[in-house]
Amino acid sequence: MTARNRELLGLLPASLLVTAGFAGVFIQRSNALSNVSLTYGALFLGLCIAAHVFIRITLPRADPYMFPLIAVLASFGLVMIYRIDPTLARQQAQWFVLGLILFAGTILLFRDYRRLERYRYTIVLVSIGLLVLPRLPGIGYAANGAYLGVRIPGVFVFQPAEVSKIGLVIFLASYLRDTRQVLVQGGRRILGVTLPPLKQFGPVVVIWGLAMGILVVLSDTGSSIMFYGGLLAMLYVATNRLSFVVIGLLAAAIGFWYLGTHIPHIHARVETWLHPLNPHLYHAPLGSYQVANAMFAQAAGGLFGQGFGRAALTLPGGGTLLPAPQTDMIYAVVTDELGLFGAAAVLITYLLFVARGFKTALLARDSFSTLLAVGLSAMFALQVFVIVGGVTRVIPLTGVTLPFISYGGSSIVANLVLVALLLLVSDRARRPE
Amino acid sequence: MLAPVSVALKFGFLIVLYLFLVWVAWSALRDLRRGRGGVVRADAAARYDATGMYDAASSPVDSDGDEFEPRLLVARAPGHETGSAYEIPSQGATLGRGDVEIRLDDPFASAHHARISREGHVVVIEDLGSTNGTYLNEEPLSGPQPLHPGDRIRIGDCEFSYEQ
Repeated sequence: MTARNRELLGLLPASLLVTAGFAGVFIQRSNALSNVSLTYGALFLGLCIAAHVFIRITLPRADPYMFPLIAVLASFGLVMIYRIDPTLARQQAQWFVLGLILFAGTILLFRDYRRLERYRYTIVLVSIGLLVLPRLPGIGYAANGAYLGVRIPGVFVFQPAEVSKIGLVIFLASYLRDTRQVLVQGGRRILGVTLPPLKQFGPVVVIWGLAMGILVVLSDTGSSIMFYGGLLAMLYVATNRLSFVVIGLLAAAIGFWYLGTHIPHIHARVETWLHPLNPHLYHAPLGSYQVANAMFAQAAGGLFGQGFGRAALTLPGGGTLLPAPQTDMIYAVVTDELGLFGAAAVLITYLLFVARGFKTALLARDSFSTLLAVGLSAMFALQVFVIVGGVTRVIPLTGVTLPFISYGGSSIVANLVLVALLLLVSDRARRPE
Repeated sequence: MLAPVSVALKFGFLIVLYLFLVWVAWSALRDLRRGRGGVVRADAAARYDATGMYDAASSPVDSDGDEFEPRLLVARAPGHETGSAYEIPSQGATLGRGDVEIRLDDPFASAHHARISREGHVVVIEDLGSTNGTYLNEEPLSGPQPLHPGDRIRIGDCEFSYEQ
């Protein structure tokens, strides 16, 4: 079977999932089977096939599993969001369509994605500028104590970190391509450990400062971990020096420890993370209510979950039991309704997608492509880690989105552009000489 | 009354999902197995060297320094950091605007402009029939020429110096 036919076949399960999921939600809601779920499944299949035909024409050699994996995640997201709020699901579907248009646009515009290297300084400056926007008075807004979004009232809400991560990866891939040899060869060895030369290491230090700055100014632990982790992954691939990663991790650990113990608002977040069941913190504003209830929701799921539409999200009296179920907490809702097996399936889907990304990096012939694929995959993986880790209380919770599943326009659009870039790299890598 | 249908749908959903994941994982595994056999593996190894990624990985910081390591230092080239170095792997390297080891972002460079090849400790540069020519110490190359430390190679506006 050719690669593209495998991709087409892989889209079938995604549309089956939409159909089964919507049917399950309908039954729970109105106690009736209706063929509307079939319509949704067919519509979703139609959209995916349109995208598939587009890939077939423009990128015939691209990885055949990436797009079906994304389609499965998106179908998961649509079902869960529909279950939480049908209006949001319609908006999410519209965002998905817009995302697919931009996905196609990216592929057409950057057929030779190495052209991006020419604009690397513009790209990185715009990315950093976007990151600062949420802190500006008037348009920025805070959610849960973190400055994550930009809102122009009545027009749109937008999370700049989603777009910035792609920009930073492009810049780092291009920069490290040029300097990696110098980083390795210009280094001095002290006590058997290669230390990088300071001049070329400068921009890397800037990114470290950026990660810490995001943490202090925006209180955004998630993006901070995501950007810094992505940087270390790319640095390791570019130089193959474990010592750089160890030094980087130590620097981050010291930074996080200092900020976590000395800056009050970050310290408060650490406290709610460590003691979510403390009654004092539980009832405090911006306290541990959300994290604690997410833990109960996940425990209620058991092995196979309670079934579609059965998780308790609101209190009988009308209050919310699980705040922000469609964005931050969607992973908890998935675990509640589909159990450990459902949640594990979601994580495996992400894992397989990231594995395809790294595989693409291995196949790529030039360093820029390798670094780009590694960076994009690592950022994607870290984003999943940050939010799932937050919900399962491995790390303090920050409101980044669960890619393709959470409700959120900028997230789904930016991540589709990320997939488009990975497919572009993959198509070039698999092209015979 | 529809409860059994609901339960069936939930398990159906999970089964379809897991079958799909097994299918993807299985094909990924098949890729790996194929990679272990001779042909693809050798091909992959060759490609590693061609990217230069492998060279950077095993580059000679930790060696004693008297090894033969021919490299091109960037004197000026758009898109390249001045002072950075490209190692010439043992199977040689091509310079040009196309999909080659050392990519030149220069309107005067051809896709495959010039080739540097190694035979033992002799390093030879050769113009690959480019439109605008390759200059060795400001003299146009006519045939293959051996390189010596300090030689300057110019293609369009890009200039490299050779070190070993």
